[in-house]
Amino acid sequence: MSLARWLTRWNAFWFPTTTTRALGLCRMVAVAAQLFWFFPKLSEHLNLVEKNSAFIQPQALIMALTAVVPRDLLFSETGLRSLYVVTMVAGVLALVGWWTRTALLVLAAGIWIFVAHLYSYGGVHHEAALFSILLVCLACSPSGDSFSLDALIRDRRGDGGPRVVDTASWALRLAHVLLAMTYFSTGMTKVIDGGPNWINGYTLQGYLFGDAIARGLPLGIWLARQHELCVVLSVYTLLFELFFFVSLLVPWTAPLFFISGIGFHISLYLTGGHDFFPHIVTLVMLLIATVPRWWEERQGAIAAATAGLRRRRATLPAA
Amino acid sequence: MRQALSGSSQKLVISIAIVLIIGAHAVPLALGPAWRRTWPVLLWAMYKKSRPPGPIVAYKRRILVVSARGTSEEATPQLVGLGPPAMTRRYVRPMLDGDSSAARRLLDRLNRGRADPFVTLRVESERFTLTDDGVVSEALPPIAYRPARPSTD
Repeated sequence: MSLARWLTRWNAFWFPTTTTRALGLCRMVAVAAQLFWFFPKLSEHLNLVEKNSAFIQPQALIMALTAVVPRDLLFSETGLRSLYVVTMVAGVLALVGWWTRTALLVLAAGIWIFVAHLYSYGGVHHEAALFSILLVCLACSPSGDSFSLDALIRDRRGDGGPRVVDTASWALRLAHVLLAMTYFSTGMTKVIDGGPNWINGYTLQGYLFGDAIARGLPLGIWLARQHELCVVLSVYTLLFELFFFVSLLVPWTAPLFFISGIGFHISLYLTGGHDFFPHIVTLVMLLIATVPRWWEERQGAIAAATAGLRRRRATLPAA
Repeated sequence: MRQALSGSSQKLVISIAIVLIIGAHAVPLALGPAWRRTWPVLLWAMYKKSRPPGPIVAYKRRILVVSARGTSEEATPQLVGLGPPAMTRRYVRPMLDGDSSAARRLLDRLNRGRADPFVTLRVESERFTLTDDGVVSEALPPIAYRPARPSTD
């Protein structure tokens, strides 16, 4: 394939011309979720600072920050409280879409610092990683061009920017690609490390039982007792993780994968206490961005099929 | 950015960023364990181990600390000031393996600035087993530590 064709395909995938409405809506969903659902807990950070005189395993971002700003200044009670307020205010501005790009960048920076700080005391978790990257990508996208005060102000002034652009999709596409990569990686490590025993039912029963007992989850304990159901769910888990990438290659399957993913994470939370809430929100955002186009395509296909049927009927001789 | 860059330059910058972000996710795979915990680019390999058919068993553990005046408290990760994985790795696992210095280190950590220091530490464990009739729980003998002198670290 020639370079020109690669570039055409690249641009068609990452930069399709579209309105900014879905992106604007996704910005609101993402910021609202970050603000009201999984905003950093200040008390948790203050407790860590109070009880640790040094980081245990400082994250790269924290090392970079403390190389410039002394630990005692930024990661003190006053420093963290100030950062918390700034991040919160930036989040509110990003939600209503006033100085959207700057507000989103400040919100993303604040969230990155808080998450990296939390993970600098010897425990790293996965749930916030992709969503934090997505926040930065939203800040670099025209996500304030719709459903925002910025857009309203521009409209009032009569100098509203173009609402149909080719940079409104890449951030969500990237989230989709990263989700596919991480699910695939998780699935492949199960296949390579776990082997066929991963779907014997006992493996999932063991994981469910351990987590449900530790976290006091009756649904998880009940599910851990259902061996056959655990075999089915093990197979489902592997299939979902290994083949989520199909939603990128066969776009009409994407909403089905997204809905499955939302159900997957909700059931993981209810049975094992795994709070991958940012993944749920990302999948909802992908649904918001995909479903209108998917529905239009389905409607188009149905209309074309109906028209074809009518034409065939019209050409048939009367009985 | 829209004003500063023309459409094609903007797309070029975004394209480079996309390639870098996707490529960064190969780093934990390529560069080994040290890079696998570098947030936000992590190795995604959760719950990868499997187990053969057999009894399904789980444990629930808690650490109780008792002060000189007899006040008892659970040493939660919040009280210790660490995340649960770090607390397990640094203190709980070594104590379960019989390392009494871990208990001493934990007490020293908890006693920083305390007027009524903790003097005794007890690890309580409960074993839960799945059976056809339900869940059977069994309390295991607690492991108690009463460090005589403070640790040096």
